[in-house]
Amino acid sequence: MSTRTPPLVELRGLTKRYGGVQALVDVDLIIDAGTVHALVGENGAGKSTLVKILTGIVGADEGEIRVDGEPVQIGDPQTAHRLGIVAMYQEPTVFPDLTVAENVFAGRHLRTPWRGVDWRAIHRETEKILEEFEVDIGPSTPVRGLGVADRQLLEITKALSTSARLLIMDEPTAALSPHEVENLFATVRRLRERGVAIVFISHRLEEAEAIADVVTVLRDGRHVATRPTTELPQAEIVRLMVGRSLDALFPKEEAEIGDVVLDARGLGRRGVFSDVSFQLRRGEIVGLAGFVGAGRTEVARAIFGIDSLDQGELSVEGRPFKPRSPRAALKRGVAYLPEDRLQQGLVQTMPIVTNLSMAVLPELTPGGVLRPGRERSLARRFIDQLRIKATSAKQVVRSLSGGNQQKVVLGKWLAAEPRVLILDEPTHGVDVGTKADVHRTISQLAAGGLTILMISSELPEILGMSDRVLVMREGRLVGEFSRAEATQEGIIGAAAGVQAA
Amino acid sequence: MNGARRLNAESLAAAAFRLRELGVLVALGVAVLFFAIRATNFLTIDNWQDIAKDVAIVVVVGIGETMVILTRNIDLSVASIVGLSAFVTADTLAAHNDAPLVLVALLAMGVGTVLGLVNGLLVTVGRVPAIIATLATLAIYRGLAFQVTNGEAISAFRLPDNFLNIAASKPLGLPTLAWIALGVAFVGAAILRWAPWARDFFAIGSNPDAARVAGIHTGRRVVIAFVMCGALSGLGGFMWASRYPTVDAVSATDFELDVITAVVIGGVNVFGGSGSVLGVVLGAVLVATIQNGFTLLHLSEFWKLFFNGFAIVVAVAINALVTHRLQDALRRRRRAQVLATRHMEAEA
Amino acid sequence: MRTALLFVGRLLARWEVLLVIAIVGVGIWSATLSPFFFVRANLLDLLTPYAFIGLMAFGLAFVVIAGEIDISVASILAVSVVCFSQFYDAGLNVWLALVAGLAVATGLGCINGVLVGIFDLPSLAITLGTLAAYQGLAYVILPGEGVAAFPESVTKFGGGYVHIELPIALLVLISFAVVLGFVLHATRFGRYLYTIGSNREAARFAGIPVARVRVTVFALSGFMAGIAGVVYVGYFGSARADAGQGSLLDVVTAVVLGGVDIFGGSGSMLGVFLALVLVAELRNGMQLANIAGDTQNIVIGVLLLTAIVLGNLTRAIQARGLPSIPRRKGVIGNATASAGLAIEPETEVKGR
Repeated sequence: MSTRTPPLVELRGLTKRYGGVQALVDVDLIIDAGTVHALVGENGAGKSTLVKILTGIVGADEGEIRVDGEPVQIGDPQTAHRLGIVAMYQEPTVFPDLTVAENVFAGRHLRTPWRGVDWRAIHRETEKILEEFEVDIGPSTPVRGLGVADRQLLEITKALSTSARLLIMDEPTAALSPHEVENLFATVRRLRERGVAIVFISHRLEEAEAIADVVTVLRDGRHVATRPTTELPQAEIVRLMVGRSLDALFPKEEAEIGDVVLDARGLGRRGVFSDVSFQLRRGEIVGLAGFVGAGRTEVARAIFGIDSLDQGELSVEGRPFKPRSPRAALKRGVAYLPEDRLQQGLVQTMPIVTNLSMAVLPELTPGGVLRPGRERSLARRFIDQLRIKATSAKQVVRSLSGGNQQKVVLGKWLAAEPRVLILDEPTHGVDVGTKADVHRTISQLAAGGLTILMISSELPEILGMSDRVLVMREGRLVGEFSRAEATQEGIIGAAAGVQAA
Repeated sequence: MNGARRLNAESLAAAAFRLRELGVLVALGVAVLFFAIRATNFLTIDNWQDIAKDVAIVVVVGIGETMVILTRNIDLSVASIVGLSAFVTADTLAAHNDAPLVLVALLAMGVGTVLGLVNGLLVTVGRVPAIIATLATLAIYRGLAFQVTNGEAISAFRLPDNFLNIAASKPLGLPTLAWIALGVAFVGAAILRWAPWARDFFAIGSNPDAARVAGIHTGRRVVIAFVMCGALSGLGGFMWASRYPTVDAVSATDFELDVITAVVIGGVNVFGGSGSVLGVVLGAVLVATIQNGFTLLHLSEFWKLFFNGFAIVVAVAINALVTHRLQDALRRRRRAQVLATRHMEAEA
Repeated sequence: MRTALLFVGRLLARWEVLLVIAIVGVGIWSATLSPFFFVRANLLDLLTPYAFIGLMAFGLAFVVIAGEIDISVASILAVSVVCFSQFYDAGLNVWLALVAGLAVATGLGCINGVLVGIFDLPSLAITLGTLAAYQGLAYVILPGEGVAAFPESVTKFGGGYVHIELPIALLVLISFAVVLGFVLHATRFGRYLYTIGSNREAARFAGIPVARVRVTVFALSGFMAGIAGVVYVGYFGSARADAGQGSLLDVVTAVVLGGVDIFGGSGSMLGVFLALVLVAELRNGMQLANIAGDTQNIVIGVLLLTAIVLGNLTRAIQARGLPSIPRRKGVIGNATASAGLAIEPETEVKGR
């Protein structure tokens, strides 16, 4: 008779591909009940894919999942729920118009013998869990008034009342004050005592150290290491997160670096970033690194006029620039290629030619009348220049591959002849072949006199392409490296707030 | 620190919760005061009994409309349902003067139930946006009313006395119609509080995705909401026939605006997710009071229509501004504080 | 042979072609009811009573393509008509009075536009409110009868004829259809409408002045309601505050039946025009068959519902073969207005 109980959750050989990109490759993982298991890795290392597979949002291509030793198929979120696997994201999903107790019991109200809602029982049960975990909210509190921290506690309460066995927390501390983080940790420890397994995903390595029993590092979709926290100092974690040989060559052309084109001084947006200052020069490619949530995209959006700046000044080519709207930004020669190319960068139902001309219609339409001929020649020009693979300029963008879609978005902005181009994760979700293409193009653009600010989570890309690297963390600029001094460890270290080893 | 925190958060939020109904109550008080001073005969018992009768029908139909709006939908066809069931009521009673009133009322509700079911199915199974679906059924049901009436009207003298008495009698000083409305209000409030399927309305309107994930059968619930609305509109039709006994095909035309105005003013959120029967009652009373006041002040009755529309626009605007902008601003301020403390600690 | 078949198949699948087939079908039915149907004068005059509806539908189509809705158009028509009447009655030159009426209509549309486009309020709830407010305003401005005798120089737009049998109303309708069609399909403004209706966020990112365009499109809708008012007065010969009452159903039907996607982003003037012809023909035929007006409404209402359900079906079938796109949020989903679909299958649960 075996005395070893099988682990709560075991993953074997989990593999997942998205188009041409390998999100997870042959990942083995064991999660034991009653442990706090930290999951760390760069952006794109595969953490969120793993979570999506565990919670039934997507399915793995290969591999096996076992719960309590038995193989299971997690085909949809309901199944995951039934197995006791619950995930909690940064933005908790709540019913803002209902009370705490009702949020917990939504859809599964406790009934009186007369089949009506038993409010007393619901309040009692909720109160019980809240007290047990020393959560400081009353069951009748309307959720709308609660802040993120309390909403998270609410989600945890909900998970507990449904007897969750594995609670996945994805970046739970991003919006919490240190005091609230302590509270959360205390709750997590109590959960652990109860035998719940917690997977704790975080970029903040000091937190992982403080709360986790075991740390797993993922890199490029692969499992790199799983070791007890005590055996893994932060510096070592960083080394494991990035340890890869930089064998991918990036065709970076030498560009002549000229005058300052964009000067940012003390940029701030309440609650998002503050005190961001930097300069961009003609012909430069400046990489902007940092973990998701550090504020990089937010800075870009503010410069481009999508969100408003509360503080700070900008000037483009020496003249002051107030980014009131994307239109205003474009007029001054600042363009922004958004991270979410599907939603924000393209109109899926329209053809390539229409998407390409979208940002420059005023120039293409004298008197307000459309000139299909001009649009067509514009389209031809960029399809050639960027080597967009499509059946014709009339092909609907929706049916293009990810890489080609990205090229169309790039073409749209290039058509506006910007002086400064901000790229947000330009090769995210793009296959290797197209990636090289995009890099070549970016390099050529810089050589041609364009200034590029490249937000990227791929260190090899940052290191290969950038003349300088800026690092952001928690809304501030915390590091600047020249091309010569930049290393993977250095960048990640700055991004994570870890002293370089 | 902990105890104080709980007190603060809870009481603040609970206060905001009650703010809506309080606001309507205050507005009501102001209106009553205003008209009492400016208009003669405003504070007479007769006048208020009249107001009560109008309010009664609006409340009954309004509670049904509320259930639909809670789920983030809308029912524009309620007036047509009222008209149709009013006619069915009158027609039945004209032909069978001794029919038990309760049965006839149930018949009217039955008609409404069927019509509401059609609405519900169009929206859920047919995936027709509620506004378009009920705009179409508004016309279709009104057309059916014309078919059924054959262009004729049923006049009061054909109707049995006990039926006409419903509108005329005032037991304990309160018109019977108002008693009926009160009864419906209590039952409605009880349902919205204790029936699990009714609680689902709130969840669906508050966050449809989360509701689905939580395992709520959103489709089925939405159909039920429309059915309830239809049934209550049917009852409203029964009451209408009693109050305005000359029933024809155009009965209750444009009534839906009165209902929606009362509901929206009464604090029911047009985005769904929150609202109360008390709010509907207060809203209906406020709207009826203002309209009554207008009449007594000899203002054109058409200002009433303008006022309805204006009230809807203002209510929606306030709602949107308060809920979303305020929340956003508060969240950002909090986040700024969090980031600031973090950096302070890091530098320490 | 196969390519020919494919071509025909694809042609038939086009909504406008289906409309033409329906028009022909209803025409044949009408001919069985009355031998005078296919007489030229009768055919030409088919649209005259519905010209004002068509004009409103054109304006509404613009709004819907941009991803919003405006159900206050009929009320704007009413205000425009009574203003026109009152100004003329007060002694103003008839043309000035007309312009004043149009200005009022455009202004009312602007108000809608500001509320929706600048304050970002849900167009459904807002235009429901303005529907009532504007209608009330119309009654307040003119509680009773308006001017009964407008000069022929104006009434000819609604009720006049050229060469005995060609109705001027038809000419007005076609002219606007052509002009607006040009604006929609061949100008930058039209392109902006389609873009905003398809993906408002991407439009904003591309530097399109989204707020300005939205305000303008509502102003345009109001303006068209004003034009419709002129034609209305010309045809019906009277100016009262209840002008246009009950026309909303036909206007919305013409738009939806015309192939304009209720969620925004697609539609054509030709489709709306053909749908108007179909509705007019249908009502005309029902009149010949002695079907009462309110019963006719049942048919039109059912037609409207069928058009949408069919549209949903075809969309569902099309979507099967292609990678899924995030469901576009149009009128219905925008800020989840009060008439939302609580059962839309949404995109993935939030998370990274």
